[in-house]
Amino acid sequence: MTRSVWKGPFVDGYLLKKADKSRASGRNEVIKIWSRRSTILPQFVGLTFGVHNGQKHIPVNVTEDMIGHKFGEFAPTRIFHGHGGDKKAVKR
Amino acid sequence: MPNNKTTNRILVGEISGAHGIRGDVLVRAYTGAPEAIASYGPLADATGQRSFTLRVVRVTSKGIVARISGIEDRNAAEPLRGTKLYISRDKLPEPASAEYYYADLIGLRAVASDGSALGKIVSVQNFGAGDLLELKPGDGTETEFIPFEDRWVPAVDLAAGTIVINRPELTGSDDEESEEQSEGAEVSGEDDRS
Repeated sequence: MTRSVWKGPFVDGYLLKKADKSRASGRNEVIKIWSRRSTILPQFVGLTFGVHNGQKHIPVNVTEDMIGHKFGEFAPTRIFHGHGGDKKAVKR
Repeated sequence: MPNNKTTNRILVGEISGAHGIRGDVLVRAYTGAPEAIASYGPLADATGQRSFTLRVVRVTSKGIVARISGIEDRNAAEPLRGTKLYISRDKLPEPASAEYYYADLIGLRAVASDGSALGKIVSVQNFGAGDLLELKPGDGTETEFIPFEDRWVPAVDLAAGTIVINRPELTGSDDEESEEQSEGAEVSGEDDRS
């Protein structure tokens, strides 16, 4: 069952404070967070969060496509080290 | 060793078993698109002495069903189980600008902007938020992920086998965790109705 619209998106309050602080500082930094349950809001776009996966912080650079998803979706708790094959990485 | 740097070969798949009675094999492909495994021409085994020309019959949820030229029945196909399939690195097309093959990035020596050694790239991952380089520090500590972006990775020199990395500065201390979680619960706005 989906979340009721009247509640609005859930986000841990301290994330908003951290995002504002980071944006104000203007530094290239990764903001360490543990809140995997928080929804990604439009004001997070452009920032990089280090989302904890239970062991370490996984860098997540927030883009517009991620709005509405949860932070935890981008930091898996189990990592499968497969084979590279012919796969390519794109430098942004 | 999946990608053999000394012989410049790349592991692209593995025969996981025989399929049917006509000599078809089930192949686990490690290529981006599974059916692309047959597009690189004959594939070699681990020793490099035997080559296999694959023709993809169909793609299934368990892997690719393929026919190997010269393999006509199940008895001939069964011994091939577990055979790893390699291609030469030269057979891969040149990547576009700002694109790098995983195979080229893995194993690069990571150095800081001042030239000091940081460690080695051990894998490349993508969890949906862009490509990440997994850096294994030289001091043997836990690996860390570096976003594959210009600001963190200003230069990649494949010829020299080095990659320049500006390690991201992580803000927020570990002590904040419990404090933040409790704060979050208070200001979450979640309703306690049940």
